Amino acid sequence: MSPSFGRGAMTNSWQDMQNSECFLIAGSNCAECHPIAMKWVNRARAKGAKVIVVDPRFTRTASQADIFAQIRPGTDIAYLGAMINYYIENKLYDEYYVKNFTNALYKISKDFAFNDGLFSGFDPETKKYDYSSWAYQLDAENKPIKASSLDDPDCVFQKLKTHFSRYTFEVASKITGIPQEKIKLIADTFAAAKPGNIFYALGMTQHTTAVQGIRCYAIIQLLLGNVGKAGGGIQALRGEPNVQGSTDMANLNANLPGYIPYPTNQEKTLHDFAMKNGSVQHKPLVALLKAWFGKNATAENEYGYQWLPKNNPSNMPIQPQFFNKMAEGQFKLLLNWGSNSTVSIPDRKLVARGLSALEMLVVADVFLTETAQFWREPGLNPAEIPTEVIFLPAAFVYEKAGSMTNSSRLIQWKEAAIPPLNGVHPDLDMLDHIFKKVRALYAGSNDPKDEPILKANWDYGDHEADPLKVLQELGGYNDVTGKPIASIGEYLAAPVGTVSTGCWIYTGVTPEGQNLADRRGNADPTGLGLNKDYAFAWPGNIRVLYNRASCDAYGQPVDPRRKLIWWDPAQNLWVGNDGPDVADKTKGPDTPEGKQAFRMNPEGVGRLFAATYKSGTLATPPESIAAVPIRGAGMTVDGPMPEFYEPIESPTPNLLHPNVQNNPLAKIVSTDFGNPDEYPYVLTTYGVVEHFCAGAITRNIPWLNEIAPEPYAEISRNLAHKIGVKEGDEVEVSSARGKLVVRALVTDRIQTLKINGKDQETIGMPWSWGFASLSPGPSTNNVTMNACDPGAGTPEYKCCLVNIRRA
Amino acid sequence: MMEVTRRGFLKLSGLSAAVIASGLGFNLEAKAAQGRVLKLAGTTKIPSICHFCSGGCGLLLHIKDGKLIHLDGNPDNPINEGTLCPKAASLAQVAYSPDRPKNPLYRAPGSDKFVDITWEEAYDRIAKKIKEVRDKTWVSTEEIINATTGAKETVTVNRAEGICMIGSAEVDNEESYLLSKLARLIGTPFHEHQARI
Amino acid sequence: MARKMVFIDTSLCTGCKACSVACKAWNDLPAEKTKRIVSYQTQADFTPTTWTYVQFRENYKNEKMQFNMIKLQCFHCADPACMKACSSDAIYKTETGYTLIDQDKCIGCGYCTKNCPWEVPKTDSKINKTSKCTGCIDRVEAGMKPACVQTCQPGALQFGDYDEMMAVAQARLAELKLSNHKANLYGDQFMGSTTYLYLLEDTPYSYGLHPNPVSPISLTIWKDLVHPLGGIAIGASAVAIAGGVVANFVMGNYAKRAKKIAESHNEGGK
Repeated sequence: MSPSFGRGAMTNSWQDMQNSECFLIAGSNCAECHPIAMKWVNRARAKGAKVIVVDPRFTRTASQADIFAQIRPGTDIAYLGAMINYYIENKLYDEYYVKNFTNALYKISKDFAFNDGLFSGFDPETKKYDYSSWAYQLDAENKPIKASSLDDPDCVFQKLKTHFSRYTFEVASKITGIPQEKIKLIADTFAAAKPGNIFYALGMTQHTTAVQGIRCYAIIQLLLGNVGKAGGGIQALRGEPNVQGSTDMANLNANLPGYIPYPTNQEKTLHDFAMKNGSVQHKPLVALLKAWFGKNATAENEYGYQWLPKNNPSNMPIQPQFFNKMAEGQFKLLLNWGSNSTVSIPDRKLVARGLSALEMLVVADVFLTETAQFWREPGLNPAEIPTEVIFLPAAFVYEKAGSMTNSSRLIQWKEAAIPPLNGVHPDLDMLDHIFKKVRALYAGSNDPKDEPILKANWDYGDHEADPLKVLQELGGYNDVTGKPIASIGEYLAAPVGTVSTGCWIYTGVTPEGQNLADRRGNADPTGLGLNKDYAFAWPGNIRVLYNRASCDAYGQPVDPRRKLIWWDPAQNLWVGNDGPDVADKTKGPDTPEGKQAFRMNPEGVGRLFAATYKSGTLATPPESIAAVPIRGAGMTVDGPMPEFYEPIESPTPNLLHPNVQNNPLAKIVSTDFGNPDEYPYVLTTYGVVEHFCAGAITRNIPWLNEIAPEPYAEISRNLAHKIGVKEGDEVEVSSARGKLVVRALVTDRIQTLKINGKDQETIGMPWSWGFASLSPGPSTNNVTMNACDPGAGTPEYKCCLVNIRRA
Repeated sequence: MMEVTRRGFLKLSGLSAAVIASGLGFNLEAKAAQGRVLKLAGTTKIPSICHFCSGGCGLLLHIKDGKLIHLDGNPDNPINEGTLCPKAASLAQVAYSPDRPKNPLYRAPGSDKFVDITWEEAYDRIAKKIKEVRDKTWVSTEEIINATTGAKETVTVNRAEGICMIGSAEVDNEESYLLSKLARLIGTPFHEHQARI
Repeated sequence: MARKMVFIDTSLCTGCKACSVACKAWNDLPAEKTKRIVSYQTQADFTPTTWTYVQFRENYKNEKMQFNMIKLQCFHCADPACMKACSSDAIYKTETGYTLIDQDKCIGCGYCTKNCPWEVPKTDSKINKTSKCTGCIDRVEAGMKPACVQTCQPGALQFGDYDEMMAVAQARLAELKLSNHKANLYGDQFMGSTTYLYLLEDTPYSYGLHPNPVSPISLTIWKDLVHPLGGIAIGASAVAIAGGVVANFVMGNYAKRAKKIAESHNEGGK
């Protein structure tokens, strides 16, 4: 979503779902994996909202649907492309919105092209794109040139129209297996009931075409004018309790906290970093360095920029690639916090291979996970595994104080309710102890390499680390006044180098003497579920992102029943029920700033075409980088518009361009692949309501093992008949990478699909089991494939080829 | 397995009386008069947050004498208004689970078992290993080709090439932040987590 | 306290089983070892420590899947057969509408089970006590919702005063009938009307429920006719004889019959 809207976050909230008129739930089984969604979806249904579910299986979510379509896994872009084509051809888009809040009118470079599955700029050697042709035509001031009408052949709208014209209902139906008339019904239903809301989760992201699938959603919602409105938007239902927070905190190799791009070896100095990333990223990096190195971070020493380890872009493994780097001998020590890779990594034999090559593995978790006990897995010989393993038992969520950020960016604080069982330690204490011990080992060193450890600002208490002190570091301090930063406005107004923030997007969460994440005011005077006085949502307590787009040219709400914000001419101010998501609250709806609904994009508009572009209007740069364009656009590495590619393992040729079967940029980690002759069935994997992810916690909860004791393979009656299997019989599921035996769940909820004229079977398997715990079971990731989306790095868990036989 | 205590406290008398709702929607005093002892009587209620999907549903823990008596949904949390899915509703069983390890565990190279170690020992071993691997795999500079000028340059990169970290979406923000900070301070940019998977 | 109702709108149920877990959590009931039975169902029947569970039925007709998920528990009949059958006067009604077993009086004879149209009560033969859903009477009388109702996220379970809930149920039925002529209420027309009332999307048969459960005629004779006289007019030995005869009635096969009906339907549906 970041390349479309400017921020990668879920746009609205759980409570806001009650305001929708229609839901497209596709790539999410929310009744099982995000059950709280159903509370609010059903509240909207009680008011007449329609529900559309698209899924490879008729799920428990589908039981609530008005329209259900069974799709072949990994083919979403085909039918979504057909919806986009249909909306454009039949003028079902919101013309005011498209012209004012998107880049539809922006002219694209004459060099841009798309031929036979590839965009312009493709280098077959490196398998990467040079994005320079995916650009706007620019004027003398470096601003994009706008066309006067949507009919201009150079404009984004026409590029979109041409690109998606190949996506007819007929083609989409042949690829996806959804009947043509059903795709049309979905398109019509979703366009007719506004605001329409789209939910997705891992069903959409666990593909080698993850980002482009989400881009389809963004394009649909921008065309229909559904973004920035109560009841609208795109809800990225995130998978873990604090995955929003952990990505905000940059537990990823490409960022520093607050989505600051991670410095690489190309940015030799802080100045180089600013030149490359713009002053918009320069300021938060300086604020972060000040938080990390305190008074040791000065303008003279580049605020400690040299102390940061720099990425080498040619060696930046993502988590699914870590285990290869261990096996190859690069990594000797893995510090593993609350992650059960032995169950969760696709093609999981790679994990044991990697862990066995380590000198030491440290695992912190609540229960003894399969990862901590990887050397005990049946089939492995512990005597041959030299890895030292240390397991640190961790306190559970309610045994410690701290905050978590939910899917809708809401930072909620909790106190410890009971003391940690057996005196186990909260993770915070573990990290605090480990860092202090390391620092003590380096005490007195004069080696420059040890400076980052010795010069660090690390003081969270003497014995037990105080999480509130950490939250205050995130929210930050004004170094001029010495006080906590009161609001994001104060941060934005402060000159570079005068504030320190551990995570600049969290500014305002801890004003002096307060912890806004701990607010409990649950009043809802508007009935829109905004609950503005409950906890704190980043940025700046805005509950519906891009809410400027809910207003007309005069700054007044277009939907009188769902008023979020408006321009108050009497006060000369943007005001409202929600926090206004505008660049400057004092700039009226007719000013350049006041028109921007997507202020985090350099163009200020939503991006139907993800063009490469750098510009900006919010600069407060230091003199040395005043001329640098300050805001860069989020990019999609595999194309400025979505294109359908077959999954890496697919049963059929790509109908649109047989010569470019798969995403040419996909990151392939697995080494073994199967073909449809040997492995004719498509496997899709998923979670269930009764267990959570790799099951590290839930398989140790007896009440949950009672309601979901074992994994299974869901197969259609046709397939069951074909392989001679009855409900409950044991079956062996195998791929080119491995196999496992489970019991068959024979069901009508999966039907044989017709794909490009041929019958195609789908097999569904939950993945939450492993060899340990109170309820062990075989791991589905024996058979899945490790091939990742080039942008998001998500592996293609949702489709691979398998065979199945009676065990 | 939990002992079946239900029959012990629920001695059903069949009497009933008008009950005055309190802030939480029930009146504990009224209970005593009826011979049925509500297990929440005399508990302190402490709100928390669910540990599973990203809904952020509010939990309410009912505590007596420092012990968890019952766990259910927090009716005052506007996200879930007291409701919980089966996973969240089961979370009381984590509190005193006999399957939770009591102390740090150590597995020696080639060994087929874990042995108990103290926290002090665990932290010492980890810190020493961090130093050892950091020192022996340290890369202070590397040669690059400057993408803008095309020139060969030597740049400071300060990386502990042999250490990697898998952070977590299962811990609090403060913990997640310290994971990030610790990784980068000891010199590893190889910090990832399950957000991708 | 007025009569209460739990309204179960199966059209909103997503089969998450939170009700089953919340029941165990509130009532301190241990988990049982299970296997998956069919679809996503793992709990086959009530047990002394499983008082509510979700049953899954998949009906695929005309290229349409009807995924029927239904939470089952004691119906808390207004005119309960179990109470009539109880050999030790352990079963009683509350004015809130609940049917409860006094554990001090219960001897675990199992007559209640045999005569319940749905075989809800289950006896723990080790301690000779029979148990079942209490409707969370302790919570209800403290002004709280039953644990299952409180936890339900999709809003399939609602709780309130009987009349108020009946109006909600009727309105919801009317709404559902517009698109589904098979929709029906289950519970208001039998056993004196039940405290747990269902809105079904299909016939009771398709959920494995008896369409018109009644108290066995033998029970009616025993409890309403013979027994009131028994204490006064018949001598002790005669009571013993009559008791023996009636016990055979009481142990009759009503419940078995009801179950058979449901099972035969299931086979037919597949």
